[in-house]
Amino acid sequence: MSHMVNPLATPEQLYQRRSFGALPTELQDTIFFSTQCLTQAAGLLLQLPQSVTAQANVLLARYWLVEPMMSHEFSDISAASVYLIAKLSPYPRSPRDLALVYNYLLSPSSTFFHPSSAPASDDSQPPPPPPSPPTNIPNDYYLPEHVYNSFHTRLLRCESRILYALSFDTHVSLPHPLAITYLQALDFLNTSKSTISKRTLAYLNTALLSPQMLYLTSQPNALAVAAIYNAAKDVGAKMPECEWWEVFDVDREELGFLVVGMRSVDGWGRKMREDVERMKAGTESGSKRGGMITRRDIEGELRRRGISLGNGDDGGNTGVGSEEPVDMEAEMARRMDEKMAEIEGSAS
Amino acid sequence: MTGKGKSRWADSAEDAALEAQLKKEKEEKKRLKAEKARKAEAEKKKREAEAAAAAQRQQQQQQTGDDDDANGPPAKRRRLSPDRDVAAAPTASSNDSSKLLRFEGGRFGKCRSVENYDKLNDIEEGAYGWVARAREIETGKVVALKRLKIDPKDRSGLPVTGLREIQILKDCSHRNIVKLKEVVVGDDTSKIENIFIVLEFLEHDLKSILEDMPEPFLASEVKTLLLQLCSGIAYLHSHYILHRDLKTSNLLLNNRGQLKIADFGMARYVPDPPPPKLTQLVVTLWYRAPELLLGAARYGPEIDMWSVGCIFGELLTREPLLQGKNEVDELTKIFELCGLPTDESWPGFRRLPNARSLRLPSSSSSSSSSKPPSTGALIRAKFPLLTAAGVSLLASLLSLNPSRRPTASEMLEHEYFRQDPKPKQEAMFPTFPSKAGQEKRRRRETPNAPQRGQKVQDLGQVDFSSLGGIFGSGREREERGGGFSLRMV
Repeated sequence: MSHMVNPLATPEQLYQRRSFGALPTELQDTIFFSTQCLTQAAGLLLQLPQSVTAQANVLLARYWLVEPMMSHEFSDISAASVYLIAKLSPYPRSPRDLALVYNYLLSPSSTFFHPSSAPASDDSQPPPPPPSPPTNIPNDYYLPEHVYNSFHTRLLRCESRILYALSFDTHVSLPHPLAITYLQALDFLNTSKSTISKRTLAYLNTALLSPQMLYLTSQPNALAVAAIYNAAKDVGAKMPECEWWEVFDVDREELGFLVVGMRSVDGWGRKMREDVERMKAGTESGSKRGGMITRRDIEGELRRRGISLGNGDDGGNTGVGSEEPVDMEAEMARRMDEKMAEIEGSAS
Repeated sequence: MTGKGKSRWADSAEDAALEAQLKKEKEEKKRLKAEKARKAEAEKKKREAEAAAAAQRQQQQQQTGDDDDANGPPAKRRRLSPDRDVAAAPTASSNDSSKLLRFEGGRFGKCRSVENYDKLNDIEEGAYGWVARAREIETGKVVALKRLKIDPKDRSGLPVTGLREIQILKDCSHRNIVKLKEVVVGDDTSKIENIFIVLEFLEHDLKSILEDMPEPFLASEVKTLLLQLCSGIAYLHSHYILHRDLKTSNLLLNNRGQLKIADFGMARYVPDPPPPKLTQLVVTLWYRAPELLLGAARYGPEIDMWSVGCIFGELLTREPLLQGKNEVDELTKIFELCGLPTDESWPGFRRLPNARSLRLPSSSSSSSSSKPPSTGALIRAKFPLLTAAGVSLLASLLSLNPSRRPTASEMLEHEYFRQDPKPKQEAMFPTFPSKAGQEKRRRRETPNAPQRGQKVQDLGQVDFSSLGGIFGSGREREERGGGFSLRMV
């Protein structure tokens, strides 16, 4: 049975997320979405099967319900979850592989989260100054030894942090195989096997990115059924007239919630990409537009909004206080800059 | 139940005394049980009442929940599904027309601190870490704390073997597999360096019992132990887990005669059919199957069954069955006991990487008149007191050809366990002084499980042709075939 169930988030954990640090929820959602996208991109470049990358996605989501998002750099936590899951899978990857891949993804040369790589959504905004398509400059992602070493150290620290936060439970059951089994049971709804299967899996994979954390609130069987339902709607397949989802132990209410949740990720994702771009444009100098969001971006965004944030290293018990003395803020900014210097020095 | 046992086992004065004592204990237990049953009855009623109340509450909650949905910010509101599942699990039937299965996967959260436990005494410092007996302060329960060995210089992070052990034990729930209670860490959580696995505590391991007992286990006791071992392994194999380090020191026994498989440091999930490349360096040498010694990279649950055969033999004699000094010696000892492999008994063994360097008597030279003795005959010679069914079981477990070995579930059905003497009831097991409970154990001289990343030893050129001569000349009656030497060419 353990192969079909996942540990789920408790209501307290979901509630507590709202009070972690002073991070407004929409920023948390943005961080969640972009980091999960980064994890997927890294999985592709590391040539990991989706079954491994998806598990890393779920692990990462769980981790962020236990520990505040700002306590580690987002990309480091993403790398550590991929490293950990791959290590336990038949496809282990070396720290150096991870360093190379993440170093590239975070470099200006990568297409990851750069405006030109975004799917066309031109109607929403006055077009930003024409983004120069990322040109491949190998120097951008050259990995000097000291950068690799510090990445490696952070990777191991994050790995043990994740394990500690999750009580060393790395078990993740994915709904993908279940979905295929259910489709077989439904005789693929009399449509093309590959079309509806692909669509179903696409919904399941997209759901990994949802800030609603569907994988932490529903068991795999429910996710599988909801994905099939959506896919069947999309391809116009005829579903059984009866309440067929009950055969797979999913009730109508949960199904409805998941169906809407899965369908909303697409629009949500587009909006969040725009948010990231806007944030990046606000913080970075013109030369380095786009790319993966970092803690520094979030801190900058918070400053702009007049929200102060504690160190974020532990507890996350800092409140929202916009009335901080100015020199405190400057002091904090200085400290952050120092902290970022090492990371920053490596990234370029 | 007691009467039956008496006729079979009360054959000496000592046994009779023990029997009487056990009987007394049993009566005491019976009384307690009756009392417990009464209590349970009362509790059950109470629970039913509670469940009904919960169902009502839940329905109300659902209604109010729906209301909330309408008012609150729609997308942000999280459904409290885990909570509801807990409430719904026992009352699912009363919910509505359709019965939906609720899956309970537990939850996740931070590790607790090791400071929740009081250390009582060290049990063992083994190759894979340190084990101590400890008491949980809150509940007073005695547990075993196993420290995960971490090499701070190892730049690949937490050892994958330790992580696999934790994950596999977490996934397992069987009475013959040691239970993992939780994982705790040292107090300084800024650096996770001290990781302890909290396991249920069992008083003994089979190895030290065997070393210290003046008389070997009775046939009925051997059967009970084997049955328990086997049902644990059947559970593991049906869940696609290979243990890969079965040996008597990894089998724990409590004072109630219950055997549990422990130490999953080498275990892993292996799909069926097995992947083409698994590490060959698994299983402690004396329990390692011949196909591993011959360098097979593709292997399956059969390697655990070979170890079961070795353990079977050890239970009978109190001595490890095949104490090879190194890989070559181990293989020699195996061929001594089981005979040499032939193309008929083990088709394809010559294709294994290390088999090429073996020099075996060609099948033509061992003429049809002097056929080499079968494994069964050799084993019968070694274990003269074992029944025919016992010999056939042991011989099949020790088949050189892995596909000839029974699976764990086949073994459970074996004739041997149905013959008299019947397996002894666990509760009737003799008790032993616990070393783990009181005192430090002496270091053992058994070889350790292979370390990850070690080089697989090349067997080099090994000449077994002399063995063929020995076996060819019908030395069936000999229990031990010494007196020949192994030439490294």
